[in-house]
Amino acid sequence: MRIKTIAISAIALVALAVPASAGAVTLIGSGSVAAQPVLQALFSTYTKKVNHKVHFTYLADGGNAGVKDVQNGTSQFAGQARTPLPSDAGTTYIKFYLDGLCIDVNPKNKLSNISIQQTHDIYRGLLTNWSQVPGSGLETTIDPVGRDTNGGTYNFFLQAVLNNELPSSNVNALTADGLVVNAVKQDPNAIGYDGLAWQGKGQKALKVNGVKCTSSKISVEPLKYPLSRYIFLVLPGDGSSSPPALGKFIDWARRSPLAGEVISKAGGVPAFNKKAKKH
Amino acid sequence: MEEEYLSEYGPKWSDQRAGRMLGALVCAVVGLLLAMIVTVFVRAWPSFSHNGLAWFGAGGSVEEQLNQIYLSGLGGAEYVYTFHAWQLIWSTLLIVGGAVTIALFSALFVSVFIVEFAPEWMRNILQPVVRFLASVPSVIYGLLGVLVIVPFIGNHLVTESQKSSVAGVISLSGYSLLAAVLILTVMIAPLMVSIFSDGLRSVRPGWLEGSLALGVNRWRTTWKIAVRTARPAIVAGTVLAVARAIGEAVMLAMVSGSVAFAPNPADGLIFIYEPSRPLAPTIVKNIDSLGSPPANSTLFAIAAVLLFSAAFFSLTGWVARRAMRKYGATA
Repeated sequence: MRIKTIAISAIALVALAVPASAGAVTLIGSGSVAAQPVLQALFSTYTKKVNHKVHFTYLADGGNAGVKDVQNGTSQFAGQARTPLPSDAGTTYIKFYLDGLCIDVNPKNKLSNISIQQTHDIYRGLLTNWSQVPGSGLETTIDPVGRDTNGGTYNFFLQAVLNNELPSSNVNALTADGLVVNAVKQDPNAIGYDGLAWQGKGQKALKVNGVKCTSSKISVEPLKYPLSRYIFLVLPGDGSSSPPALGKFIDWARRSPLAGEVISKAGGVPAFNKKAKKH
Repeated sequence: MEEEYLSEYGPKWSDQRAGRMLGALVCAVVGLLLAMIVTVFVRAWPSFSHNGLAWFGAGGSVEEQLNQIYLSGLGGAEYVYTFHAWQLIWSTLLIVGGAVTIALFSALFVSVFIVEFAPEWMRNILQPVVRFLASVPSVIYGLLGVLVIVPFIGNHLVTESQKSSVAGVISLSGYSLLAAVLILTVMIAPLMVSIFSDGLRSVRPGWLEGSLALGVNRWRTTWKIAVRTARPAIVAGTVLAVARAIGEAVMLAMVSGSVAFAPNPADGLIFIYEPSRPLAPTIVKNIDSLGSPPANSTLFAIAAVLLFSAAFFSLTGWVARRAMRKYGATA
């Protein structure tokens, strides 16, 4: 009697472990936190409207960790917000869509434009008071906020603004992009940086070198906005060993007008997608 | 013959089955613990052996050292291990020490009140509330800190002159020692209260009644007999709270300020507004550099220090409780 119960539950467990519908594919990815909102939106649209049998899981463990996952085979693809480094050997980077890093201040700050040089000086601790930044209308000490070293945005900022010099010790390094937004929103003296997807949530994006941080300035090559970048998908090897379902998804996401709409809604800027035909 | 066989083997084994399985489970748990300790220390060893006792000392900026260590592991060049963790250790001492001290006194008074003085209906409300508070996940406290306490300190308590006096070195934006200590206190105090009140409740009623019968007033009886007898429970609760406070990473990473900086009491009042970063959040913040072998070893060295201090505190607690057993208390 008892043996029967055990046997039945064992069979039930095995049955649960087998995918519910035959032919379904689950693609496993990990990596950039900055790319997560856009990727998740693409995933759900793809599963709902293009191919019901393809499912995705994505663990936002940071771009560098994602590439590691691809290298050791735990992930089939990774989202990555920085350009390839020598340590990424054995992987292929595919340009996926574009993203801009906006410099944000609190709405109480009157500043509307900032130069890369000024931003560099603030984050290197050379400018410490808003009175040293003309146009801010503030006389208070600057509270610079940034990401910790785990963030793709940190690496991009480090390369594009700080020339790979470490931020000074008065920069408060927070663990997530959302916390940076929160800090800027709540502190009138703060300045922070984060992706397009985070804009318009109680913080004010500045023009950088006179160019607005909006998708229209970022999408056109050559990239006019100084802090724009490609978001990459990273595949193992030369990409040929990836499952065909993944290849189809990448093609769809890079080319189709529908994917373009999804990307811009989620805060990214489509790079290669065809424009939707107007009826 | 058959009966003899049964009594020899059958019932005997069915008797012992549960005992042996549980024993094997305990062995597995102990083995797992040993394996974990060995792994952590083996991985940490290169960092300790390169720095010696200077690992615990001061010197240079932890941030820059961690960056050097991380970068050296990426190229083919020789690994750099130089690391002086004093800024992180000092921050841990300040935050854990401050929170445990405040929590110890407040928890003691609260539990004395709950056990000895509170009316029945209030006790019935307070006890479940305290139990619930003790089990709230730390990330919720972290969120409260980031959304309420940090902006309050940054916008209302810190003055502009204080901020400008340290401009360029650190920013006093509310992420501070004060926020970290306050929230950590709220986090560990309920744990202490629930253990303290269990201890106070287990004091033999006869002892208290004897004291009261001799005409000693209630406050003095509580203080001199109940609290004194419950001392092993107080030590046990404090040790548990210290262990939880030392290992707390998520909440502290959110509110303590995340800059490796050693707040200096000589700076005056500003000192409690200064940001710092304890040991455990440092691991969380640098988790991405685990791929670089020397950085991996350095982070495991931090983990080893945390593991060692947790073991040290539970051992001290055990010794202290043994020494107090002669007062006849149970805990």
